[in-house]
Amino acid sequence: MDNLSKKYLRPRKIPSTACSGCGLGMNHKAVVQAIYDLGLEVEDIVWGTSIGCAGRQTFGTWKGDGFAGTHGRVYAIARGLRLVLPPEKKIILTVGDGDAFGIGLLHLIHSARSNADFTVIVNDNLGYMSTGGQYGWTTPRGSKTDSSPYGMYEQNLMSDGMDVLGVLRNAGATFLARHVSMDGQRAVESIRKGIQNRGFSLIHMVYPCPTNFGSRELGTRDTVKIYNWIKKKAAPLGEEKENTLWATGIYYDASNSRREFSESIHRNIEKIRRTGTI
Amino acid sequence: MKRYLETGNFAITEGAILAGCRFFAGYPITPATELAEAMSSRLPQEGGIFIQGEDECAALHLCVGAALGGYKAMTATSGPGYILYADPYGWAIGSEIPVVILNSGRVGPVSGITGAPGQGEFYLTRYPTQGGNFETIVLAPNSAQEAMAMTVEAFYLSERFRTPVTVLADQLITDGFEDISVPESDGEMEEMGFRTWPRKINRGPEFYPAMDEIDVPPVVLGHNTGALCSDWTPTEEGYDIEQVQAHHKHAYRLIYKVRNHRSLFNHLYEKNFMDDDPDLVVVSYGTPSRVVNTAVKKARQSGLKVGAVRLINLWPFPDEHFRRKTKYLSVELNWDGQLVREVQRAAPKDSEVHFIGSCGDLPTVTDLIEAFERLLQGQSLARRGWELEEW
Amino acid sequence: MRTEILASGFGGQGVVRLGQILGEAAVKQGYRVTMLKSHGTEMRGGYVRSQLVISKEPIGSPMVENADFFVALSLAAYKAFKHLVTKNGIILYDPAFVVELDNTLPCTQTAIPAKDLAVEKFGRAVFANTIMLGVLAKLVEEFDPKILLESILHIIPKYQEQNEKAFELGCALL
Repeated sequence: MDNLSKKYLRPRKIPSTACSGCGLGMNHKAVVQAIYDLGLEVEDIVWGTSIGCAGRQTFGTWKGDGFAGTHGRVYAIARGLRLVLPPEKKIILTVGDGDAFGIGLLHLIHSARSNADFTVIVNDNLGYMSTGGQYGWTTPRGSKTDSSPYGMYEQNLMSDGMDVLGVLRNAGATFLARHVSMDGQRAVESIRKGIQNRGFSLIHMVYPCPTNFGSRELGTRDTVKIYNWIKKKAAPLGEEKENTLWATGIYYDASNSRREFSESIHRNIEKIRRTGTI
Repeated sequence: MKRYLETGNFAITEGAILAGCRFFAGYPITPATELAEAMSSRLPQEGGIFIQGEDECAALHLCVGAALGGYKAMTATSGPGYILYADPYGWAIGSEIPVVILNSGRVGPVSGITGAPGQGEFYLTRYPTQGGNFETIVLAPNSAQEAMAMTVEAFYLSERFRTPVTVLADQLITDGFEDISVPESDGEMEEMGFRTWPRKINRGPEFYPAMDEIDVPPVVLGHNTGALCSDWTPTEEGYDIEQVQAHHKHAYRLIYKVRNHRSLFNHLYEKNFMDDDPDLVVVSYGTPSRVVNTAVKKARQSGLKVGAVRLINLWPFPDEHFRRKTKYLSVELNWDGQLVREVQRAAPKDSEVHFIGSCGDLPTVTDLIEAFERLLQGQSLARRGWELEEW
Repeated sequence: MRTEILASGFGGQGVVRLGQILGEAAVKQGYRVTMLKSHGTEMRGGYVRSQLVISKEPIGSPMVENADFFVALSLAAYKAFKHLVTKNGIILYDPAFVVELDNTLPCTQTAIPAKDLAVEKFGRAVFANTIMLGVLAKLVEEFDPKILLESILHIIPKYQEQNEKAFELGCALL
């Protein structure tokens, strides 16, 4: 265990039970690094998780208070919690792509719409990997998974000019970024900015899954090969090539430009209580 | 004490506020919409939070989130919304989070008829989520005044048992007007039998003790207690675990904390003319029970030996009222018969258990007395517009 | 002893409000009250209904099965509920809407031309219900006309002067 882990994480959950070669640990570490860089302490953060690989592997790792929601609903729970926790408490959610962009998309959009102050890290292993590897809403076109044996041929949120971050931007999110897990310090920077935004922030972070995605689509569980495959398909925003799937960096930053959900509700309640009207 | 002519929705709102509810998340649905509207007007006046969810599933999750932050929270809906609670209801049962849910029954299945009363969720309130391995508490008032009292009681029980409690009402209760007395002081609340219980905070490290005790404070996040709560089977500290023995302990607690402490609420029933071992016992809950009470009283006046058991505590089902071998008649606001099945199960072998149902409209006193007479004479029940059918 | 009052008519005639006003006045006078309303997407077709029960004792069934008073404001409503009125009961019908009578009924049937009177005296049909409430104030012995008028003015804050006059007109009608 390194010093960061000692400070913030529970020894019982480190190392995690993730598959060998799983890239989730890099994402997780980037989040913890960003928290450290901001000078935040264990008690400053309530950590929520979803189900699936990303949710289950990160649940209960934070030394402080933590919760895991049912499939796709952690955003609604977090909104309820946001309304009653003191504003200085940060809420960080580590979730998966199926949870955020599939079953939970409605709740995610309403979190963006209301500009609820929490930071969502969507750890994208390119489909439903904890159930054995089925395609999801960001699985690259043509990818072979257990539920797309001929190649993924559905329209999805990352094809034909679609971008799930565009959906969230239009829904009212105030900070959006995208990275792959090998982005290192650049990803930490984005997460740090996301946490600093008093409003809805989401960082989409693609990470490699050797066990399912790698073995089905790339025909190998070789960690180096899948890491390289992801790296090749990622490029910083503005430097995209023809085969770029993930343009990395800050997609949209309107941090602290719009009134935060809980602040707005409490301001109105306080005024109604005092004056009987808004 | 202040008296009003008001709806059940008003009474439930005031009851919730008296019980300390300061968070309500709802979603518009007839006939519970006016309750959300009343909350939207009243809660901010009390410094409480009202919010609309993007759907009922979100609404209850919002409540559970607020409850996890230490608030007493409530939501309200009708059948088509209640079914969307399956996710958060199960989560709150498993994570032992106190929250109160009101269901105002209308005519189903699905959207059915919106503005008319029904009782189609007798079993759904027992099994509001999947997976089993839990016991639920359900209270069914039969008037607006009692709906207020049962809302207060639901908050009380939800805190002590740390579990969601459903108040099962119907459209006539929530939409109908009635004279309602609202207590204005703690003394008056006590006078009316209202019990309250404050939110306490579990300081750990055993957030999910493997025993059947009540009064274990619930998990509250944000106090840096290291509390964990999740949708997975928990260890006593709240870590997720996939192990049959750990699950057995968890399930034992979810089932027996309720079953072994029924004495806290199993006094919630009403009996009329039951002292002389009546030849026919009429069983009901909710608004139909008011017609039953009037009918039984009238039947007694004309010499029929009929008695009535009205259930307020519906679940866990109070078997103790059905120990005597006699004739039973279940009166319900549905055509399929739900309560009757539970009476059949609870009554001694070879008891005659009958059912008379209607939906969208209450049964009439005249119809009920005719049914009593037929049953007492050993005839079967005539179902209006339906073929003769035996239960 | 319970007194059962049924009011029924079209949507928009103020049938629920009529029941609410009577109910509130009864509460003020210390009675127990239930008032069921069926409205909106009314499934039985063609009427809105208020079922009011007033009693000194706690009320069992909130259903009106033996109406002491029935305010009939449409022909459909009249036809649907006339048989619920007891033989000592009274049907108050507005002849502007209830255009054919069943003369075989055992109860008293009294025409109250509330709509026409409202238009004639106040220029608007909306005051018809207040006239009807005036009639009920005199007819139903449980009601204190003064308190009933207070409830009218409390529940309908607009047109107080006209409502007061319409109420008095109703009181003097029978």
